[in-house]
Amino acid sequence: MELDLGPEANKFRQEIRTWIADNAPEGLADLTDWNASSFGSIDESFDNALQSPQYAEWSDRLLKAGMICASWPKEYGGQDWDAIQNTIFAEEAFRAGVPTVNRGFGESMVGPSVMVNGSQEQKDHFLPRIISGQDVYCQGFSEPDHGSDLASVSTRGIIDGDEIVITGQKVWTSGYFRANMIFILVRTDTDAPKHRGISYVLLPFTAENGVDKRPLRMISGAAEFGHEYFDGSRAPIFNIIGGINNGWKVAMTTLGHERSGSATIASLRYEKQFWSLVDLARKHGRDKDPVVRQQLAWAYSHVQVIRYQGLRILAQIAAGKEPGPEASATKLFWSDYEQRLGEIAVGIEGAEALIRAESTGPHEREPGDYIPNFWQNIFLFSRAHTIYSGTNEIQRNIISERVLGMPKEPSAARG
Amino acid sequence: MELIHTDEQEQLRSSLRKFFEDKSPSSEVRRLMAEGTYDKTVWKQMADQLGLQGLAIPEEYGGSGYTFVELAIVMEEQGRALLVAPYFATIALAAQAVLDLGDADAAQALLPGIAEGTTTATLAITEQSGNWDIDSISLEARPADGGYTLHGVKSYVIDGAIVDQLVVAAKAPGGLSLFLVAGDAAGVTRVNEPPLDQTRGLATITFDGAQATLLGAEGAAATSLPITMNKAIIALAAEQLGGARRAMEMAVEYTKIREAFGRTIASFQATKHKAANMFTKVETTKVSVHYGSWAAADNSDDLPVVASMLKAWASEAYFFCAANNIQMHGGIGFTWEHDAHLYLKRAKASQLIFGDDAYHFEQLADRLGV
Repeated sequence: MELDLGPEANKFRQEIRTWIADNAPEGLADLTDWNASSFGSIDESFDNALQSPQYAEWSDRLLKAGMICASWPKEYGGQDWDAIQNTIFAEEAFRAGVPTVNRGFGESMVGPSVMVNGSQEQKDHFLPRIISGQDVYCQGFSEPDHGSDLASVSTRGIIDGDEIVITGQKVWTSGYFRANMIFILVRTDTDAPKHRGISYVLLPFTAENGVDKRPLRMISGAAEFGHEYFDGSRAPIFNIIGGINNGWKVAMTTLGHERSGSATIASLRYEKQFWSLVDLARKHGRDKDPVVRQQLAWAYSHVQVIRYQGLRILAQIAAGKEPGPEASATKLFWSDYEQRLGEIAVGIEGAEALIRAESTGPHEREPGDYIPNFWQNIFLFSRAHTIYSGTNEIQRNIISERVLGMPKEPSAARG
Repeated sequence: MELIHTDEQEQLRSSLRKFFEDKSPSSEVRRLMAEGTYDKTVWKQMADQLGLQGLAIPEEYGGSGYTFVELAIVMEEQGRALLVAPYFATIALAAQAVLDLGDADAAQALLPGIAEGTTTATLAITEQSGNWDIDSISLEARPADGGYTLHGVKSYVIDGAIVDQLVVAAKAPGGLSLFLVAGDAAGVTRVNEPPLDQTRGLATITFDGAQATLLGAEGAAATSLPITMNKAIIALAAEQLGGARRAMEMAVEYTKIREAFGRTIASFQATKHKAANMFTKVETTKVSVHYGSWAAADNSDDLPVVASMLKAWASEAYFFCAANNIQMHGGIGFTWEHDAHLYLKRAKASQLIFGDDAYHFEQLADRLGV
């Protein structure tokens, strides 16, 4: 059953479908499983595919057609695509088995922040570099001593002539190894109340600029995240967005941008994963096992709920309504689901799950390498889902306080 | 189709909420469940003032021709109020069974009376085995004098002892068929069983050669009855959603008032997180019910899958909320005087009827071709 988004959206879908068919380079779809989540895994075929000439050609065609950062306003190099158009594009790419090319944090967070809070000169300088891929950003928000409490940043930023000099440490920096820029929150006024002494800086993220990057290895063996030491790293004052000491407000303008347009894609990926799980059960002769059948049905039910949630968010957007408070329940739901999915999958694998098999191609080439197979990786990496983007405990506090109107827990530290 | 309600649908909901709060307060629920009956005056008002019985019945049969999406809203709101009346039995079972037959004469025989609030009815499917599969139906329909007579016993018939008309699934020479029998016909013996959930009656009905009228064609129910059951499950899920939401609200309201250790218990994280988990169950059920009601309205291909999924999911959500509502109330929630147990019993009974989670997960696995 497809959500009918109206004739305009259906026409757009046809155009996109045709465009992809006409422009996707031959063989691109076969290079790797572009639809599988590679987050947190070590997958050599995926990495190789990203280096292929077909991918370079595809990126170039998307760029020329204005289909990178297409949700940005036209005046900043985008196409003014709304969430529905974004979703249709992502769905059609998914169906064709080709990747969308996105600019990560630069597209979803830095760009929108600069558009809202930046000067014309800043917009002219930073935005085209994001679209072209020249600047690749990672996010410098979390610090070792405060994860969910963002306003407590203690990395220092000191103004020195026409530059800002940064010293301190950041952690949980997703995609740090791809980035040459970091958007970083630093404390520029230690005397002001904690929300008012923070600045938002676009900082060159290089060893030459005094950044010591180190991988933060996860329980799954991969190092998707990094931690960094900044020792006198410098940026022009021009790179401070929204003015000195105004960084909290700038950071808050983009938190909502984090997941737009991905609502229904998640369920497509989960549905695909579900059928892989069914294949796994068949392969292991467990598909007649009544307990496994219960687990599979349970999993399918959850995939459908995630799908309905995505459809509703789209319907809300189509009707011009802001997604309601139920959106906060969504994270609890899918994160708990994916953890359980991983547990079910390694249970179906049984003894085989006791050994790390080389399902992804590259093998453990160096002593100490740890490369789980696909389901082992979901099992291990999913432990992170209930922690990042605000732990599930924080999400439950948000629901109970903001939706159900229950009081905050009394706390001496609350300020 | 949109997975959000229109303003008109939201208006329907608010007028229903007001009506049921007024007509089905706890005192009335308790009076009616003790008497094992329903309030015929309220039933008539539901038809005359709000047109609820005829809401989703086509206009040609005296209804107003709205869809299953609007019907689901009524189900939700009457479930929230624990309305003691044969609404689910009459509308989601009997009327739906006749509609799904697609036979104009059958529809004409039953639906106009239902729509105007003068006829109540139910659907008798399950037998003494308690097996929910329609393949297990063995009650026999024998041709006699140009009509039929019924022979056998039906069990777990929802509101079977209090309704006017019985739609009975029986084996005729031509296969599984539906028959119409008056509740007070000769050869019909009805026993109102003492139910776990006293807000909804369950009857055992013995047919000892009772005269019956064939609805539609012989054998037609083999196709129509599975559809009816799937839609009934979606209606039940809507009702469960209404109950789950009410149980959650009761729990949250109480914890904001009740104090312990010098603060309201709503300020304890252990309490807040239970409430947040309830909310997550309610919200995921809400969007699933909305999708399901749309699938029912549309006779969508995925209706069987959605129904089995919803039966398990809405049941889980309602029971979770009803059980935690008692826990969050503490001792008072365990008393007969408090309404929390009414929701717990309704939640469990709704979970068990038409097959529990395990049954439906197996159905789902089967329907998916696993």
